[in-house]
Parts: sequence; C-alpha cells; structure tokens
Amino acid sequence: MAAPAVVRALRALPHIRPVLGGSRCLHSTPPCLKARAARVRVGKGDKPVTYEQAHGPHHIAHRKGWLSLHTGNLCSEPGAAQRAVEDAFVRRFLRGTFPGALLAPLVLRRRGRALLVSALLGRALPPAQLLFLQGYAEALLSALYRSPVRIELLTVPAPPVYKHL
Amino acid sequence: MAARRVGAGSWQRVLSLSRRCSVPGGGRGCYRCSSSSTALGKTADNAEVAQEEIVLPRRKTWDKLAVLQTLASTVKRDPTAAHYMFPDDPYLMPKNAANFRLFALSKESGKNAAKFIINQFPEYFDKISVEPDVTCFMPEILTPQIEGVSEEALKERIHLRRVKESVDLFDQLVQAGTPVPLETTNRLLDLLCFYGESTQEKEEQAKKEEAKEDLEEPGVNASEQKAPKRQFRRGLQSSGPRWRENNNAERIFKVMPERNAHSYCTMIRGMVKHGAFVKAYDMYIDLLNERHKADVHTFNALISAVPHLKDRFLERWELAKDFLNHMAQQEVQPNLLTFNAVLKTLRRCGGVGRSMSLLVIKEMEALDIEPSLATYEHLLFMFYRGVELHPSGIISEVLDDVEKRSFTPQDPDDANFFNTAMQACCDLKDIKLAYRLNKAMENGDNWKFLSMDRLNIYWSKFFSLLCMMEQIDVVLKWYKEMSCSLFYPSPRNILELLQALDAANHLERIPSVWEDIKQMGFHRRPELLDELLSLMSREQHPDEIQQAFAKCAEDIKAVHEQSGREQAPLKWTGSTVGCIALLFARAGRTQDAWNMMERFQQINRIPTDQVLDGFWNCAKQTNCPDEAIKLVKLAASLGLPASQRLKSRTEKEFELSEKQKKTLESIQSDSDSDSDSDSDHE
Repeated sequence: MAAPAVVRALRALPHIRPVLGGSRCLHSTPPCLKARAARVRVGKGDKPVTYEQAHGPHHIAHRKGWLSLHTGNLCSEPGAAQRAVEDAFVRRFLRGTFPGALLAPLVLRRRGRALLVSALLGRALPPAQLLFLQGYAEALLSALYRSPVRIELLTVPAPPVYKHL
Repeated sequence: MAARRVGAGSWQRVLSLSRRCSVPGGGRGCYRCSSSSTALGKTADNAEVAQEEIVLPRRKTWDKLAVLQTLASTVKRDPTAAHYMFPDDPYLMPKNAANFRLFALSKESGKNAAKFIINQFPEYFDKISVEPDVTCFMPEILTPQIEGVSEEALKERIHLRRVKESVDLFDQLVQAGTPVPLETTNRLLDLLCFYGESTQEKEEQAKKEEAKEDLEEPGVNASEQKAPKRQFRRGLQSSGPRWRENNNAERIFKVMPERNAHSYCTMIRGMVKHGAFVKAYDMYIDLLNERHKADVHTFNALISAVPHLKDRFLERWELAKDFLNHMAQQEVQPNLLTFNAVLKTLRRCGGVGRSMSLLVIKEMEALDIEPSLATYEHLLFMFYRGVELHPSGIISEVLDDVEKRSFTPQDPDDANFFNTAMQACCDLKDIKLAYRLNKAMENGDNWKFLSMDRLNIYWSKFFSLLCMMEQIDVVLKWYKEMSCSLFYPSPRNILELLQALDAANHLERIPSVWEDIKQMGFHRRPELLDELLSLMSREQHPDEIQQAFAKCAEDIKAVHEQSGREQAPLKWTGSTVGCIALLFARAGRTQDAWNMMERFQQINRIPTDQVLDGFWNCAKQTNCPDEAIKLVKLAASLGLPASQRLKSRTEKEFELSEKQKKTLESIQSDSDSDSDSDSDHE
C-alpha cells in the first residue's frame, strides 16, 4: 500500500500539505505559508529594519496602521476589488517612477474621489528632479483614474531604522 | 440645514419635517422649533395676520467658492512656509530665487510631460468612465478627424491651430476649384496673422491652451490668471517671428476674390504684431480707399505702431491724433486699450508725451473709462523714469486711486505696474509711498499681478529701500518675515543688509546673517565674503562676539578650501587671508592664525599694515613676546617696510629676555641684507 510510504514521504517534506482522500493533483503555485508572510526573519543583527518591517501582520491595528485606507471593505460598500487593483497599480507605478528613492511602502488614502499618496523618499535625486517626477506622476495617475491624485513627498537623508535584526 | 424654499401655506410641513427648521431665504440661519410654533400659534389665532402678506425674502445665492474664500480670509500668511506649490520639506523647498524658479518650472514640466504622453497615447486613458465626468483629466483630441479636401476639414484644422496644414488644404481647395466662403477665408487669415509664420507644433499646442476662440483679445485675461509660467511664453511670443515678404497670409490675401473689412483689419493687426509696420500703414490706406470701416482693435494696433512709423516726437503725436480723428469719423468707440496704446506711444515721445498724457487721462475720464494698471504704469514711467526727475505729485494721486480699487487684468502691460511704481519710490527715496504701494498690492486681487519673477524683483527693490531708509529693527523684522517665504534676497540685498547693520552698529548679528547666506547658497560669492570679513575684522569686539566671528571665519576658510565637483575652487585674496588671520588671532586661536599667515607666501601676497598691527596688538594683549618676534621675522622675510617699525615697538614695549633680544637683533641684520634683494622682486 502506498499510504504509509506517502505518509513517510510527507513527513520528510513538511511544507507539502496532503489532500486527504482527494485527487492527486500537481501543485504549481509556490508555497505561501501564512506564518512567514510580511515578516523579516531574525538574522545576525546586521540587517537594519524599519518599524513597519519589524512588526508582523498580526500587529496591524495594534502597533501598526494600514497602508491603504478606503471604505471599500466596509459592509455593503462596493468597489473593494477595484480599489485593490488600483492600489497595486499605483504602488508599482510609483516604485518605478522614483527608482531607488522610495524608502517605505506608500500610504494610500482615499478622500471622496481623490487619492492621496504619501511617499517617504530618500535624497538620491536632486530636488528639481524629484519635483518633476512628482508633477508627472500626479498628472498621469489623475488622467488614468479620472480623479484627482495628490502625491505628498517627504524626504529623509537615510531610511529610518527601528532596530537591527 | 439646507435652505428650502417654503411656500406661504406650508408652515405645518416645516414643523413636522425636522426639529431644526430653516426659514425660507437661506442665509437667515436657523430658527428653533419653539419660535416657529409661536409664529404658527400667532397665525392660527389672528385671522387678520394670516391675510397679511408674508413677504418672503429673496433666496441668497452664494458663489461656489464663498465658503473657501471665507475660510481663507481667516488665515494669515505663514512667514515660515514657502509657496504652497512646494512640499513642506527642507530638501524640496527652494532657498533662493533661482531655485524657486527651477523647482516651480520642473514641477510644471513634469505635468507637461504627462500631458504629452496622455495626448500621444489616448487609447490607454479613455477606458475608465466616471460619473460625473471630469473633462480636465481626459486626453485631448489634437489630431484632425475629418479627412479629405473639404471646407469642414479646413475649418477643423483652423480650429486645431494647425497652420501649415490649413494653408496646404486651402491651396488644394482653390486648385480644385471649390469656392471657399469669405467667412472661412477670414478665419484662415486670422490664424495666419496670429501665428505669423511659426510652424512649430509645440507652440501651436501652447497657444491652444491659452486662448481658444478669442483671437480678438489675444489671450489677455487668460494669460494673467493662469500659472505665472505662461508669462515666459508670452514674452517669447512677442519677440517672435517677423513678417516675411510675400508670406502665406499676404499671398492668400491677394488671391482672395472678395475682401471685406475684417480681412483688412486682420492683416493690419497681424502685420503690426509681427513688426511690418509700414506695410500695416499701407494696408490701412487701402482699407480707407475701399471705403471700409476699421474696428477698434485695428486702431489700437495702428496707434501702437506709431513710434515705428515716425521718428520725431511731434510727428508721432500728430500721427496718433490722426488715427484718433479717423476713429471719431468712422464712429468707432475707443476703449481702454485704445487709450493705453496712446499712452504707450507717448511714452516714446519725451517731453511732448509728458504734457499730452494728462490730456489723455482727462479724455478717458470724460468717456467714463476706468483706467487700468497699465494706464498708471505708462504715466509713472513717463514722469519718473526719465533721465530728469520732474517733481510732481502724480505718484501720490495714482496711489490714491490704486489703493481704493481691486483691479482685474485688462491689458498685458498691467503686470509691470507694481515694479515700475516701486522703482519710482526707490528713485524718490520715499519709504512712505512704498508702504502705501505695498498696502495697495495686498488689497483684494492686486497681488495676482505679480508673477514669480516680478514678485522677487518687487520685493528686492522694496527691501533695498528699507535698508536705506529705515531703522535697523524694522529692517530686521521685515527680513525675518519675508525672507525665504515671500521673497528670496539677492546677493545685493544681503550686501545692503550688511551695510545697514554696520550703519546701526549691530555687527553682532553678522554670524546669523552668515548662516542665512550659507542656506541661500551665496557662500561662494567673493563680494559677499569680502564684505563680511572686512566688517568683522575692522574693530575689536567683546569676547563672545569675537568667538562667533572666528567661527564664521573658519567656515569661510572651509569654503575656500573645499573644491566641488563642478565648481572652480575659490581663490584666496590678500584681504581674505589677512582678515581671517586677524579674526583667528583676536579670538585667541593663534595656531590657526599662524597657518593663515603662512598662506601669504603661497598666494604671493603681502599682509596689510592693519593686519600686522592687529596681530601685534594681540600678541601684546596676551603678553607673548615670542609671537611678536615671530611676526617681526615674518614681516622681515616678506620684506615689508613695517618690519622696522614693528621691531622697534617690540624692543620698546615688551620685556625681552636675553635670548629674545639676540633673536631680534639677528632679524635686523637679516632684514638689512634681505631688503635689497627683496625690493626688486616685490
């Protein structure tokens, strides 16, 4: 019988979960363990880590806030999925627009129809270029989403380190 | 709490709907329930009252922006904040005028880059539809949609301001034999005369944003109220392409089967705009021969062309009067721009202009036309900017009027008023007038006339006047409030501030001014550094001030030594080295001082007597005969005539040991032999 062999094999590879009594499919997605999500693993003590990175997702609403604030997830409010897609796009877009200068994940807030993006930047680029990119990104995103998009910039000389892991 | 229009007979409904009832007629506020019930009781009781007319007040309509304007009026200007277009971040805030311009323009150019991409690839930006629609975020259709050779296609291309394509299409239409109606041909002529011969697409797009349909008044109102960056584009446009011989406009004009007054007028205006003044005059004569009537805009253009047609003052005035007479004959009503054009012409007429200008103003008053800021600007220019200043009370009368009103932009020259007026105040050296002018500027909407550049020039002049005329504490108060938020001091302003501090004997403020200089980025300007150092090292000061000065001197030394990537290193000069050395010595930092003294050799300069004496005095104060002897040695090695004097002073005033006396003697013998050889290479 293959069952004990299967069980022994599974014990050796604990990250594969068995489908009990079901079909024998092929897992083609990479494993996404919820115990390892959004956490920075403890290392030797030389890795600088910001406050936001140092706290895991179970600390949201206790020690951390949210990165994306909108009313789509409230009861009987429409548009949660659209907001999520827009957020993902805006994050990628701005990550590419400010190459290497974003020090922290963006905080996106929606007020009515407007989208307010708060970005923490490093001083990698001269200020004229940063303002150029800000004007460009605001105008482009506003046209893309047909609603006012405002980007608020804050620059710091170095990423704010909370502790070293 | 919305104001609801309640009819006379529906008091009961008002009561039942909510606890807080609004009275019909909006802005009256809320009545409490009890009062309306009392009112109801009254009406129920007295039958006579019910028969009386209840006069409902008219509903008050508020501007869309009324709430915002009220809120804005409660907030005063924050003296520590930069312009609202910049983020509130020390790295991204501009610290001097050049940076202000650079940052503002880079932000605008980012927006323009985005607009370019949006208009280039509209297919990516029209997939979302929102309710209600926001047109300003949608891509604009800039490519012509109608194809083929037809009149509609021509009209569309004219509408889209595509000069070359319109002309080509027109030629094709004419060759094909299709008659182009007069109206459309006139519109084509309008387009050509407005743009001259510029075929750059960029410029066409820019003009499109400025003045869409209004070719009559070339974008006057639009230009003032939009972003100040537009001013630069306007400046470029006015010195734009010149009128070529036999260009498209002339060619089309000649082949037109019929022309009406509008065609002639457009041609005249285009020629004047692009500098073909004599042709414009000839065209006007043609217009008169054809018995057409010109319109007021054409006359304005012709009057403004007068200085280019005649040279002598009287002839210019006569020609201008001719045009005005023609206007009266053709029964064309002059407007504000007519009079402004007359004054602009008189500006270039010297003394004749001055005497005639007042008559022009009287005529304006007689016709009940309110003067605009441009009118006053021309007046002030004529009376106060000439070579000789004629004393006159014009400026106070002008200020009287300007203070009372809030102006709207009506003439492109309005923007120059405040700068001309402030210049006049500076020339007259009258601070009270300047304060009045300032108040007038803050009145209502008048501040909008000062764009980015003009604002800085205005405040710069005002600050110069303040430094010249006012007490130092008033100057410092203005400086603290205004600098880096409202205006960015230029290096000249800083020099004047330093001189004012010197005059008021407040030299202890110099270290804080130096901090500001560093922040503004002027720390590599040699004239500022020279002024600073000479002021600091002129006299002896109490100890803590001296220490602060020494710190400044150290900063300046660091500035000289630091060589940036793209900047050439600052050269040491004799005075700089001497002053820094003196400051170090006075603060008691003798080692640093001697390092500086040795630098004299490197830069091939000699210290002045003042420096040597100052050094010597410091040595005396700290009672260090060694220092004095070192100084004498240095002076002798450089071959200075003062070395003798110093040597004798050292001998007399110091108590020297035997060894020191011997050293001093030996120096003397050195100097005797050295002086002959030194004198010929100095």
